[in-house]
Amino acid sequence: MWKDFSRSYLARNRAAGWTVAAAALAAAFFLSLLCSLAYNLWVYEIRRITQEEGGWHARVTVAQDGGQPDETLQKLTQFANVETAVLSPAPAAEGSAVIELTFRDRGSIYRDLALIRDALALPADAVQTHSTLLALYLVTDPQDPSPPLLLPFLLAVLGAAAAALVLLIRSSFEITMQARLHQFGILASIGATPRQIRACLLQEAAALSLAPLAAGTALGLAACRAVLAAVNAAAADVAGRLPAVFQLHPLVAAGALLAAGLTVLFSAWLPARRLSRMTPLQALRDGPDPAPAARGRRRRPARLLALLFGIRGELAGGALKAQAKSLRIANVSLLLSFLGFTAMLCFFTLSGISTQMTYFARYQDAWDVMAVLPDVPLSEFALTQQLQDLPGVESCAAYSRADAACLLPADAQSDELQALGGLSALAGSDAVPQGSGWLVDAPVVVLDDASFLAYCRQAGVEPSLEGAVLLNRVWDSLHSNFRDRAYLPFVQPDLAALPLAGPDGSPLGELPLLGCTDTPPALREEYDQYTLVQFWPLSLWQSLGGRLGLADAGGTNLRILGGEGITLAGCEALEAQIRPLLEQAGYAFTIENRIGEQLANDRMIAGAQGILGGFCLLLAAIGLANVFLNTLGYAGQRRREFARCLAVGMTPGELRSLFWIEAAVLAGRPLAVTLPLTALMVAFMLRASYLDAGVFLARAPVLPVALFAALIVAAVALAYALGARRVLTGDLTGLLKDDSLR
Amino acid sequence: MALLQCSGLQKIYGRGDTAVRALDGVDLTVERGEFAAIVGASGSGKSTLLHILASVDRPTAGTVLVDGVDVGGLDATRAALFRRRKVGLVYQFFNLIPTLTVEQNIAMPLLLDKRRPDPELLRRLTSTLGLQDKLGALPGQLSGGQQQRAAIARALCYRPALLLADEPTGNLDRRNSAEILDLLRRCHRDLGQTILLVTHDERLAAQADRVITLSDGRIVSDRRRG
Repeated sequence: MWKDFSRSYLARNRAAGWTVAAAALAAAFFLSLLCSLAYNLWVYEIRRITQEEGGWHARVTVAQDGGQPDETLQKLTQFANVETAVLSPAPAAEGSAVIELTFRDRGSIYRDLALIRDALALPADAVQTHSTLLALYLVTDPQDPSPPLLLPFLLAVLGAAAAALVLLIRSSFEITMQARLHQFGILASIGATPRQIRACLLQEAAALSLAPLAAGTALGLAACRAVLAAVNAAAADVAGRLPAVFQLHPLVAAGALLAAGLTVLFSAWLPARRLSRMTPLQALRDGPDPAPAARGRRRRPARLLALLFGIRGELAGGALKAQAKSLRIANVSLLLSFLGFTAMLCFFTLSGISTQMTYFARYQDAWDVMAVLPDVPLSEFALTQQLQDLPGVESCAAYSRADAACLLPADAQSDELQALGGLSALAGSDAVPQGSGWLVDAPVVVLDDASFLAYCRQAGVEPSLEGAVLLNRVWDSLHSNFRDRAYLPFVQPDLAALPLAGPDGSPLGELPLLGCTDTPPALREEYDQYTLVQFWPLSLWQSLGGRLGLADAGGTNLRILGGEGITLAGCEALEAQIRPLLEQAGYAFTIENRIGEQLANDRMIAGAQGILGGFCLLLAAIGLANVFLNTLGYAGQRRREFARCLAVGMTPGELRSLFWIEAAVLAGRPLAVTLPLTALMVAFMLRASYLDAGVFLARAPVLPVALFAALIVAAVALAYALGARRVLTGDLTGLLKDDSLR
Repeated sequence: MALLQCSGLQKIYGRGDTAVRALDGVDLTVERGEFAAIVGASGSGKSTLLHILASVDRPTAGTVLVDGVDVGGLDATRAALFRRRKVGLVYQFFNLIPTLTVEQNIAMPLLLDKRRPDPELLRRLTSTLGLQDKLGALPGQLSGGQQQRAAIARALCYRPALLLADEPTGNLDRRNSAEILDLLRRCHRDLGQTILLVTHDERLAAQADRVITLSDGRIVSDRRRG
């Protein structure tokens, strides 16, 4: 009997069936898309970390004492939870070996490592865990006061999105059930038990949702694959990036399908339970009247509407309040999507302006092509002249960097700096006092001799290879901001030698200075504040650096400048010439060009904006789906409500205006909250970053934000226009004549 | 002086073989200040007649003049304005707006015209109806009798030419029914309100000055008391 009953209802009310099927399809699609995206992101991160840092869970450093660490390895493998123990290929300090461990049960790693440390009598710092990898398995150090929270945060976001989808399905069932209350009231009044009605609803839910659930899940997985392919295509030019590979885990697909299926059944069960708590008479009258609203605070929004639109505003506000629960998803989703979208675009705009000003604009004339040879000491690099001679190369500089410090007597500070109160007045706690002076970081930049001599000429210093040039400037942070810096001389301009020191302040000897300058050479380097940067010729570094006990400089950097106004093609042509030279010499290197890097950076930002914007659109789609479900689904109830107003003498135009007021509130709320909040946020960021508001306003993302707002407004207006048509075109007077209605 | 004049009023639902003749040539005149009751069995056409008089429904044929207005020829907007200003409607199931307070419900026809109710009239009306303490309450917080009194106050707030009441005690207990009927009588007596009461209860109808009986869409008797 119930099968016939449901079949005949669905055959005569196709819209209701389609509503449920569409909601199930959409929810299954988004659930499976979200779950598989999250899973693939997780797998990708594990692959990336494993490839870049290794797949070990923990490292143990043991003393070798001249023998082999086999015995230690054997001891380690005897621990039940240790899966593998192998010698690390990473370099270890002399007389010690590093053993990499993986564990069977990752959850008890920290407990087992404590046991291992005790068993091998190791000091605490001999055991190192791979915390970034373990954090991906939600394994964190119980002793860590601030464990990594990114994964739990992402899981919470995923859970919130899944909950929104679950609520969306629930709403659609709630609405179709509401439309049938009268019918179920009749059934209940003639003796159908709540259990029978519940069974009927569950059967219907299953029949309507099974195929859409399966199709939605499959479509979601396919969409995930397409998203990964799009991300790979967008980031194809990013050097060293590991491409994402779509992975389909059966548990993920089954989990998404099961979650969607359970949601459907739960969603059907909830209204059925509500129905069973109603008297048949209440069901016949389409449910109880809304509970009286609390007085006071909760009535304020309606008061505002009443102020603006009079009694129509009061009525619209009351209707919105009565629908507050069913419109909650719409309100939250639309607000979050618009707020997220606007804030994201403003943030990226500000960040783009800042990057443009601080990086691309600053280094426009500093480099065109840059090659980094991490394993080649500058002294062993022999191709500088060959690179300089390549056609199209205006200048080639080979350089490396090393850390150093110097002791700066108080009276060696420049007069201008002393007048301001000395280094501590500018650097605050960054200034380290040492005796009567300061211990100042003095990083060394070692240039090939030819480039150094050219730099001497540029800086107005007598060219020579017998001394170094000092970058004599310090940022006057008291009278300028970091965006528009003013500099003072750091030391007295006639300083002839710099007293170098070790990191602990122990004197190392004096460095002869050829002179001081306030202009660094054209290199793609950023120098820390309140440091004295020294530029050395390579020959001086080779003769004096070791003698002064300075640490080895790192690998070699090659800075190549092309001609004025070089294009991307010109940069790529230079790259194409340089690459084979370095390869033939057997160097391991990475190479990039400024314009290509800028374009890749733009593409990455556009990609990130696309992904985040897509997420915002997804949220908005969930919210708008909820608006459509409400305006179209509760037509029966609204008709009763409007019939009452009609009886009092409201004109059709006034009735229609109620819909428009409701639509304006629903669509206007996210705008009204977002725009002032965003303005505040932007004002704060502009202030913090010392950017001119005019610069931001000239590039403010007005058009995309306006389009997003227009999309929300238009979709909400359409939903209400359709709802108004459905409610108002019928014969409302018929409802007044039906005595079964109140 | 006639406030209401119906002549040859017909209302047919459906077409052809399934057509139902709800009103079949009703001729009726009600004088200003009269308290008339329309009685009849279920399906006799009394509610249909009342809805046509209130411009909630349209006649198939015939004319209806209420206070000089041809109700049958009004478009939807004019019909709504007519309903708001010329007639007051009281239903069996009250039809109050659940999200508005009692005071807002009562004043609603005026508020729709962007007018404020006369405070003195509102005070007198609500104290007469015993609602002075309930003005801030929502309909859901009132008893059935109180809700019906609020509905009557709403209907009277505009000082309508004609008060139409469709089974106003049909959803109330005996005590509340008696109260409501007493109220209607007082409105008629004290304010000179013209009232047309639709009921199937002969005992209620007997309280009116005039009792019109409908059967199968026709007036079969028209009796005046005294």
